[in-house]
Amino acid sequence: MLAALSLPGRKETQNQETDIKSLIHINFDKCTGCSLCQLECSMDLTGGYNPRRARLAIEHRRENLYHFPVVCNQCDNAYCMNVCPSKAISRTDQGIVCIDAERCIGCGLCVEYCPIDMVAIHPGTGKAAKCEMCQGHPLCIEVCPTGALEMVTLGGEQE
Amino acid sequence: MNAYTGKLLIIDLTDRSSDIFPVPDAMKQAFIGGKGYGARLLCDWVPPGTDPLGPENPIMFLTGPLTGTLAPAMRGCIITRSPLTGLFLDSYFGGSFSPEIKYAGYDGIVIKGRADAPSYIWIDDETVEIRDARHLWGTDALTANQRIKEDLGDDTVRIASIGQAGENQVLFSLVSCEFNRQAGRGGAGAVMGAKNLKAIAVRGGNSVKVHDPQGFSQACKNAFEELRKSPDVEALRVAGTASAVEFANETGLLPNKNYKNGTFAKASKIADKGQSKHLWLGSSACLGCPIRCSKIGAVRTGKFKGFVTDIIEYESAALLGANLDISDIRAVAHLTKLCDLYGMDSMSSGNLIGFAMEACETGLIKTPKGIDLTFGNVEAAEYLIHDMAGQKSELGRLLSKGVKQAAKEIGDPAEAFAVHTKGLETPAWGPRGVSGMGLAYMTTDRGGCHQRGFTVSYELGGEYNGVPMDPLTTENKARMVVELQNYSAGTDTLVKCDFGSFGISDTTYAQLLTAAVGGDVQPGAFYETGERIWNLVRMFNLANGTDESQDTLPARFVKEALPDGPAKGHLISERDMARMKQEYYDLRGWDKSGTPLKETLARLGLEDENTNQ
Repeated sequence: MLAALSLPGRKETQNQETDIKSLIHINFDKCTGCSLCQLECSMDLTGGYNPRRARLAIEHRRENLYHFPVVCNQCDNAYCMNVCPSKAISRTDQGIVCIDAERCIGCGLCVEYCPIDMVAIHPGTGKAAKCEMCQGHPLCIEVCPTGALEMVTLGGEQE
Repeated sequence: MNAYTGKLLIIDLTDRSSDIFPVPDAMKQAFIGGKGYGARLLCDWVPPGTDPLGPENPIMFLTGPLTGTLAPAMRGCIITRSPLTGLFLDSYFGGSFSPEIKYAGYDGIVIKGRADAPSYIWIDDETVEIRDARHLWGTDALTANQRIKEDLGDDTVRIASIGQAGENQVLFSLVSCEFNRQAGRGGAGAVMGAKNLKAIAVRGGNSVKVHDPQGFSQACKNAFEELRKSPDVEALRVAGTASAVEFANETGLLPNKNYKNGTFAKASKIADKGQSKHLWLGSSACLGCPIRCSKIGAVRTGKFKGFVTDIIEYESAALLGANLDISDIRAVAHLTKLCDLYGMDSMSSGNLIGFAMEACETGLIKTPKGIDLTFGNVEAAEYLIHDMAGQKSELGRLLSKGVKQAAKEIGDPAEAFAVHTKGLETPAWGPRGVSGMGLAYMTTDRGGCHQRGFTVSYELGGEYNGVPMDPLTTENKARMVVELQNYSAGTDTLVKCDFGSFGISDTTYAQLLTAAVGGDVQPGAFYETGERIWNLVRMFNLANGTDESQDTLPARFVKEALPDGPAKGHLISERDMARMKQEYYDLRGWDKSGTPLKETLARLGLEDENTNQ
């Protein structure tokens, strides 16, 4: 059995717009650019700290007057999923777009076609990696000191 | 596997080579990182008398073992021989540059030699290139930052750069480490300028791993919790250091008119009150820090409108504002930004402008043509900033050497109001109402600096670790200063932010370090390591020209009683100084001339240091 497929509630088919979708909502006005979210995420993904290795980014603009976190949109029409030649990318019934590392062949097409650079090839495994919302409890949200990141569920019944 | 990379990247600009220096285990044990490494290597590599602006003087960008991890409020430091003081210089910077050094795979970068033409260094993990920077020479520090990012096609690269002041070797020029973060004090910018080095650009793709991830995660949680609970940290979270302006004014420690006075009637205009109204829009933070002491904003209206400004932190507000009798916070922000762009220490700049204004008012120097060089005149302050950075006139060239040298060249009685210790311009905490702070200035390793033993809150609070404190007497001050200096030096091995240390305990720092690098670090290690560093640096400084006579205060604080504030009428007399200094030397295990005794050095594992300076 493929590991990722054993996640509870995983669907084999792309969900419809009426289905629910969980994602991280950005309150960019509260972001200080501290990158604690990225540090925590990178540790979870790579076993070490480096914001460049995180599954979310922060754009620091205009001499740090503005900080814009960039997170996976968990797109309804997910290009990463659309372009994957090995059907390694699918959506859970929580609307989270997940990568099955066993099926992933590391071709990088998802990386190439994600419009906001939220998929990367993991340097250790050679497989694609993206934000999968940490089994419903995103570490980035936990560590954020200002509430710049928060979990929202769109559509369906609110949790 | 631990949080050390165990490597320093050594770059020689003269022969355009680079090499790796594996950090010996003994150095890790005895000096931990950051300031400790810098002190050890400066002593090992820089013989007495080395020209600070010559190719032999290295400039080191050092991290600590916790830099780049989740451990909150960590920074980086520059270590070099200061061209301003001729002594050991450690100058610290927050932001995101030092973590990037770590991510590129190094515990530090050491730059030696001198490039034959303006250059910048590009470090992309193990790839090291020395690149042409002739097109950048003459640009300000932030423009250079932006252009290099454009050259490299990546705006996530992290850059340390100098402005025109560093190029022109203004002796108090700084190194700009990404926006609003500077290694400000002591002239590190001039050391880069003298090397024809405009900038260092770094991109790192490696992860920093820790020895015990679970233990580290718990230690981080403890640190975050301590920061959350600390009222001092809460004050910084709300208003950075700007709220200190009114505190210093109420306690009579705020410099006004070249430190002559200790209060400023319009203090609130340049404090958090004035700043939040006219400047601030939001908060910004250094990488990995929940405190977010930066209150970022913009000057939106008035004569100087249209630029982004960070909080005008206490030292800049006090020295470019109160000290110059300037109360328009938008003007102070403008002057601070000019210093940042030119890459010039705003503290020393404010000191020198105040000195020049007083020298002009007393008729010692001539008013520059068309400029009314008097206190309160923003235009005059701006003129001098342009003049010092660009060294356009004789006056600008004179002032760009620092206040000690400028006063010496002007001659009597200018030295009576040149406010510095060992050539480093005094910070904005007048010591006449807090004599322990006076002792700290007298004895600080890099010269007149408030950060190596900040006694003010203990003295005014009336107690230090259960020992009663009277701010106006000399009693019990020496031990406090020694302990604070040792702890500061010990934790600057990490390299910690002072603001973080207001909340994070020694026990938690020890837990963080143990989990990050292994072993069993006890809190006492920071005090012991700090004492080792302090003595080693003292040996370096003695070998480079300082002596007991320079462990002193500027005449203004010794001869002139404070004219205002709660400590009105008070000064720190020669007798006060002698008494505190002798007690300090005794506690340090130094002889009457301020030289560490052989047994002191032996106790600290420094027996090989040459005691015959």
